[in-house]
Amino acid sequence: MRMPWNRKSDAPMPSPGAAALAALAVAGSASTETGVIHLEGVECSYTGSDGPAISNFNLRVLPGEFVSILGRSGAGKTTALRVVAGLEQVSSGYVRVGGQLVGSSFVHVPPDQRRIGLVFQDYALFPHLSVERNVEFGLKDLSPQEKSVRISSVLELVGMSGYESRYVHELSGGQQQRVAIARALAPDPVALLLDEPFSNLDRQLRAALRRDIKKIATESGATTLLVTHDREEALATSDRIAVMGDNSIDQIGTPEEMYQNPVSASVARLIGPCELIPGVFRGGVVVTEAGAFPTRITTDDSIPDGRQVLALMRASELEIEPAEEGEQRAATIELREFEGEFSEYSIRLDSGTLLRVRRRAANGLETGSRVRIQTRNGSKVIVFPS
Amino acid sequence: MLTVRQAGFAGRQGGCAGVTFSNVISTGWKTTDGKRPPAFLVASSAAVALAALIPVGYLLVRSAGAGTEWIDAIWRTSTAAIVGRTFLLIVLVTIISVAVAVPVAWLTVRSNIPLRKVLSVASVLPLVLPSFVMATTVIEMYSPRGVIQGWLSGLGVNELPEIYGLGGATLVLVLMTYPYVLLTVRGALRRMDPALEEAARAMGYGPVHTFRAVTLPMLRPAIAGGSLLVALYTLSDFGGVALLRYQTFTSTIMIHYELINRTLAAALSLVLVIIAVMLLLGEGFTRGSGAYHRSTVGAVRSSRRVDLGRLRWLGAAAVGLPVLIGLVIPVGVLIHWLVRGLLNNQELIPLLIPARNSLFVSLLAAVVTVMAALPVAILAVRFRSRMSRLFERSIYIGFGLPGVVVALSLVFFGINVAHPLYQSIWMLVFAYGVLFLPASLGPLRSSLLQVSPRIEEAAQSLGRSQWRVIFSVTIPLVMPGALAGGAMVFLLTMKELPATLILSPIGYKTLSGSIWDAASDAFFAKTAAAALVLVLVAGVPTAYLTLRGHGDKSGVSDSSMKFGEALR
Repeated sequence: MRMPWNRKSDAPMPSPGAAALAALAVAGSASTETGVIHLEGVECSYTGSDGPAISNFNLRVLPGEFVSILGRSGAGKTTALRVVAGLEQVSSGYVRVGGQLVGSSFVHVPPDQRRIGLVFQDYALFPHLSVERNVEFGLKDLSPQEKSVRISSVLELVGMSGYESRYVHELSGGQQQRVAIARALAPDPVALLLDEPFSNLDRQLRAALRRDIKKIATESGATTLLVTHDREEALATSDRIAVMGDNSIDQIGTPEEMYQNPVSASVARLIGPCELIPGVFRGGVVVTEAGAFPTRITTDDSIPDGRQVLALMRASELEIEPAEEGEQRAATIELREFEGEFSEYSIRLDSGTLLRVRRRAANGLETGSRVRIQTRNGSKVIVFPS
Repeated sequence: MLTVRQAGFAGRQGGCAGVTFSNVISTGWKTTDGKRPPAFLVASSAAVALAALIPVGYLLVRSAGAGTEWIDAIWRTSTAAIVGRTFLLIVLVTIISVAVAVPVAWLTVRSNIPLRKVLSVASVLPLVLPSFVMATTVIEMYSPRGVIQGWLSGLGVNELPEIYGLGGATLVLVLMTYPYVLLTVRGALRRMDPALEEAARAMGYGPVHTFRAVTLPMLRPAIAGGSLLVALYTLSDFGGVALLRYQTFTSTIMIHYELINRTLAAALSLVLVIIAVMLLLGEGFTRGSGAYHRSTVGAVRSSRRVDLGRLRWLGAAAVGLPVLIGLVIPVGVLIHWLVRGLLNNQELIPLLIPARNSLFVSLLAAVVTVMAALPVAILAVRFRSRMSRLFERSIYIGFGLPGVVVALSLVFFGINVAHPLYQSIWMLVFAYGVLFLPASLGPLRSSLLQVSPRIEEAAQSLGRSQWRVIFSVTIPLVMPGALAGGAMVFLLTMKELPATLILSPIGYKTLSGSIWDAASDAFFAKTAAAALVLVLVAGVPTAYLTLRGHGDKSGVSDSSMKFGEALR
C-alpha cells in the first residue's frame, strides 16, 4: 500500500513558497471513512492514578480539517493528543493515523514512525540548535538543496524568514511558537497536533497568532487537531469542535451547531458564556423565577411535563423591559456596562442569581430599576433535564 | 520484553503489513508512569550495574568459600569495637565538614568578602590532594617533631596536642572532604530562587532568622548529598588513617589483606558493603522527590550579595582558614621538601612519563565512566521504576569500597574470567569506572532533570527513533553535566592510589604511583615533585570548573553546579 508519507517529495518548483505549499498538502489517500486521525473506543490510563485519563474516546478528523478538542483542564485533552502522537500507549480501542492502525492493546507504533507533527505547549524547541537546524531536524531522505528549499519555505510560511541562525533563547515567545510550527510542518506530516499552543502568550499576541495558525493550516492544507481550554480559540479556528467532558467526548460538531444545539449543560457552559437557571417544564414552556419562556430541546430524549429542568440563558438571546408596578418575577438591574452600540446589563434575580442581558444602548435603563426578562423576538430557550 | 516500541512498524518503505503483535505476550516491566524503557537502555544499564557489582560478587564468593569459620573470625577480631571507632570517625568528620563547608559556601556565593573569586576556587582545591600526601604533610607540620613544634619550642611550649589518633585522622579527613559538601551546597545556593528569601525578609524575618527558616531547610538535600560523599570517603579511606595510626574498618581489612587472611578480609569487606548501603539508604530518605526540571525555560534571577561591611575581612579570614590549612600549608610543605631535596642534590625521578600516563589514563577513565553512567542516568531520570533505582543504587556501592578491595576483586576477576584484560590498561580503567561511576552519575542526573522530556518527545515525533534521539538531543543537552562529571572522575582518578598500584600493567608508572614509591623510599624531593605536578594537573580542571560558575547568570546549564552535584 502506498502510504502518504512514502510519497516522494515534489521536485522544486519555481517559487519556494509554492513548492512548500504543494509539498505540505496532505495526500488524500486517507479515506473519509477512516479519516486522517481516527480514534475508536480508546482507553488510556496512567499507572498509579485512579481511573483512566481517557476512556471510550471516539474522534475522527477528516483530511484537511481543523478540529479542536475543547475541555476543562484535567479532562484528558492532552492525553488524547499524546495517544495520537504515540507518546502514550492505549489499553483498549483502536488508533488509526492515515488509515493505518497505529495503536491498540496489541499494537504500538512508536511516535517516530507515525509522521505526526506535534507542537507542544512549551514549544520544546532544541536549545542547542539554531532555528534552521531545529526545522531541519525532522527532514530525512532529502538532498541538501531540497532540505534548504524546504526549510526556507516553511520558515516563510510562518513568517520567520531571516531568523535562520538565531538560537531559541534569542526569540520571543511568539517567535518560538512559529518556529515550533515550522519544525512540525517541515517533514510533511500526516497531521499537525497543537497542544494549548497559545497558553504561554499574552492576550494580543494570542489573537494574532490564532489567525496566523488558521491561515497556515488552510494554506498548507494540513489536517490539524488543536487542544485547548479556551473557547474563543476553538470557536475562531475550528471547522469542528469536540467538547470533552470527563475522559471522553460529549459532543462534536461545527462551532455553529455546537452553539445552537449543545447536548448538555456542561457542553453549553464550555461553548459560550451563559447562565443555567432551574425551572419546571410544562407544555413546551419552562417556568423559572425569571419568567416563563418557550423552549427547545436539543437532546434526543423528550422531557415529560412537570420535570425539573435547567434553562440556558444567554445574554444575546434575552431582552429586558421595564417591569410594571407590583409585577411578580421581576429582577433588578445591578450593573450596566456600555459597549458602544449595545449595553450589557447584569440583572440580579430575587434568588440572587445573576443573569446578563444585551440591549441596544439607545434606550438605556437605570441601574436599580426593576425589569421583566423575556426572550428576544420570541426565540426559544434551550432546556436540559436536570 | 520491551520489543514493541523499537520494532514498531516494519518500516515505512515496506508498507503497512508490519504491525507487531509481540506486545501481546510481552510482560515487560513498566515505569511508575507506565512508560516502557527501550531495551538498549535497560540492557546497557544492567551491564553497567552488574560490572559495578563485581567486587561485591567477588566478596561473596570468597567469603562463602571459607565456610562458616569467618563468622567466628569476625567476632574474634573485636569487630564491634572497630565498627564503633569507624562510626565515631565518620560522624565527627561529617559534622565538622558540614560546619566548615556551609559557612564557606555562603560567604563565597552570597557575600561581598574580598578576594571572593580567588577564595572560592582555592577553597575547593584541597580536593586534589591525595589523602596520603595530605596526611604526610599534616604529620610534618603538627607531629611532636614537626615544624610547628619547632617554632613553638622557642616560645617555651614543649608539647603539642597529640596528632596521631582520632584527632589527626579527623583533621586530615575534614580537610580532604569538606570540598564535597562545599560544592553541593554552593550549587544549591546558586540555584535557589532569591524570591523565597526576599519573601521571608518582607514578612519581617531578619537575615539570620531567614537563613535558619528558609535557606537552611532548602539546603538540606545538598548538605545530605555532600555528607554522603564525606561519609563514604571516610569509610573507604586508607592512606590518611593508616599514616595517622587510627584503626578503622578499612585499615583493618587492609592489614588482613596484606598479612593474614584474605578470606577474613573479604568477609570484613562485606560488612563494609553493608555499612555503605546503610549510609546510602539514610541519604535516600532525605532526598525526597523534589528535584524536577523547571517547567518554564528562563533565567534564574541571581541573588544580590549581602554587604558584610567591615565584617567582610573576618569573612575572608573564615574562608581563608581552611584554605590555609588544607591547601597552602600542604603545598608549602611540598615545596619546602622539593627545595631542601634539590639543595641536597637529591635526584628527581623523571616525571614526564608518569605525568603523561596519569593524564592519559585519567582522561580515558573519565570518558569511559561518563559513557557508562549515561544509560543508567537516563533510565533513572526518564523511566523511573524500581529496577532503574536498583541499577542506580548498586552503582553507588563502589564509592564506599576501599580501592584495594575493588582492585583485588578485579585481579581475581581478571585471572579467572577476563584474562585478556588482565595486566592491560583497560583493567585499570575498569577499576576506576567501578570506583567513580557515582561521581559522574550525579551531575548527569541533575543535567537530565533540567531537560524537559517534551524536547525528547518532540524529537521523536519528528521521526527519530529513541536511540537516535538520545544521540542527537539528549547527549548534547546534558553536555554540561557530562563535562562536570568527567572532570570529577578525572580528578579522583589522578589521585587514586591502591587500585592504581595493584592493577597498573607492569612498568606503567603514574603520578600517584610515583609519589607512593618515592615516599616509601623516603625520597622527599621526589615525593614532593610528583605531588606538586599532580596538584597542578588535577587543579587546573577543578579551578576551571569552579570559575565557570562565576558570572554565569543563567544557572541552567552551569557545569560548576553540576560539578558540585557529583554523587547527588
